[in-house]
Amino acid sequence: MEKERATLKDYGYRDFTLMNKIYKILKKFFVVFIIFGLYISIIVIAIQSVNESRIISEFTRLSFKWYGNIFQEEELMQAIKNTFLVSGIATVLATILGTFFAIGLYALGKKVRVIWMLLNNVPILNADIVTGFSLMLMFRLLMVVFPNIFGLFTLVMAHLFFTIPYVVLSVMPKLKETDPNLMDAALDLGVRPYKALIKVVIPAIKAGIFSGMLLALTMSIDDFVISYFNTGAGFDNLSIWIYAVIGRRNLTPSVYAFSTLLTLFTLLGLLIYSFLQKQKKGRKNEKNNINGRAS
Amino acid sequence: MNKEFKVLARPYMVWLSVLVFVPILAMILISISNLNSSVSVGELMISFSHFKLLLESSTLIAFRNSLVFATLTTLLSFVLGYFIAYEIKLSKFKNKFILLTIVILPMWSNLILRTESLANIMSENNILKSILGFNLFGNISGTGVAVLFGLVFTYMPFMILSVYTALEKIDFALEEAALDLGLSPIKKFWKVVFPLSLKGVVTGSIMVFLPTLAGFAIPKILSRGRIVFIGTIIENKFVYTNYNHGALLAVVILFFILGSILLLTKFDKEGETLL
Repeated sequence: MEKERATLKDYGYRDFTLMNKIYKILKKFFVVFIIFGLYISIIVIAIQSVNESRIISEFTRLSFKWYGNIFQEEELMQAIKNTFLVSGIATVLATILGTFFAIGLYALGKKVRVIWMLLNNVPILNADIVTGFSLMLMFRLLMVVFPNIFGLFTLVMAHLFFTIPYVVLSVMPKLKETDPNLMDAALDLGVRPYKALIKVVIPAIKAGIFSGMLLALTMSIDDFVISYFNTGAGFDNLSIWIYAVIGRRNLTPSVYAFSTLLTLFTLLGLLIYSFLQKQKKGRKNEKNNINGRAS
Repeated sequence: MNKEFKVLARPYMVWLSVLVFVPILAMILISISNLNSSVSVGELMISFSHFKLLLESSTLIAFRNSLVFATLTTLLSFVLGYFIAYEIKLSKFKNKFILLTIVILPMWSNLILRTESLANIMSENNILKSILGFNLFGNISGTGVAVLFGLVFTYMPFMILSVYTALEKIDFALEEAALDLGLSPIKKFWKVVFPLSLKGVVTGSIMVFLPTLAGFAIPKILSRGRIVFIGTIIENKFVYTNYNHGALLAVVILFFILGSILLLTKFDKEGETLL
């Protein structure tokens, strides 16, 4: 009698083709839906920026007049200036201070550092509304001594409070990666510790400092809640100004034009950055090839 | 690292101690006393009379709204965000940086402006309708669905980033081993990949849950003021300079945050992998 042949199934083979097909269709649907959800608001902003009519519910004609109008809108220009002023000061200070603070915390040794890193995370994890509200209360209490404290000063202080932790957090892993012998070598060669810090350690953690700076800038420039509570004397940044104008229902389309320009510039910057990275990689590969051939 | 550099941390220790603790202590003090702009420090009295606010039905409804929407937003952005993060990891596209950039690019334009334009196209007559001829979103302006849509797509990038970071760290050899040992792809995912990415999921969930719970701008704009979150009440108290009530509600939110931080430290011992 002929023995029954073992099927593929008996060997443990299972057929997933149908499942894979279903998954593939679902996948496409989900990806489209998510990209749509993420980008719909930006697309609408772009459409509104090239709409000739001031009325936002109707598309009349293609026009770029709102782009030219950005500089004529005094309130908008003031808000943009304020935003860049606050974020500029906060980002520069946070990057410099945060780097040195991170180096200091790293030198403390692991046990003590963990506690301070936990405290460092508080401004990041804490809800904006609690940070903003409680800082505002503290500044209010200080008003007894400094009556005109609210405005640029309180805004920059508040922004520093939540941007420095991001810089510390992105510099710290780079510090851990650096070779401790680097510093010792520099010291052995007779360099003073602080000079060695600037000449040896800082270049080694450059990438961390840069990404920390970018994070700080991103967080600072887009901040609404913390700024909302801590500004004063009509010192509005872009978010606060837009929020206030929405309430009055007469937002100028130039805001959309400005936002679209900003998005395009960001996109351009990213493209240039990734292009440069690619070139750098290419050059490295070339070098390796040459070295490989030589040896 | 040279021990001499310890000095560099000292100013930051002072800065953190002052700016983390003083405002929070001031907030707690103001929430349990009669201190406000008209009372001088000499007449300061501890009183718990503001606590009645917590039992008012409007406050309770606001708390319920905040919690329900924060939970739903976290769940939805977990499902959608995990899916996208996993697809980015699997994709054969060489430059993962570009894929991640596509996900976070929208975050670089102004949040309030994005929310406002979202609210615009959700209303009955909108600019997309005048171009397309039909209403893309139906007429969901002012409803919970509108708020949920806005919240999910605003905060999902955080989830995607932290899940992706966790997924990237998983050794591919582990997955191969699981398949060699006879697990089906689905089982492999649930038994190997998912548990290893749990840390990223927890971090991502907290990064979505907390800002949603405490937010006020997005729900206010998208619900046209109809759905009140706890943040909305705090903002109102701030506008009408009722700092005692505002402080009290902020203290309550603070407790939620402390709980989340404790949860995070359980998964993330050194507290240094937040990014």
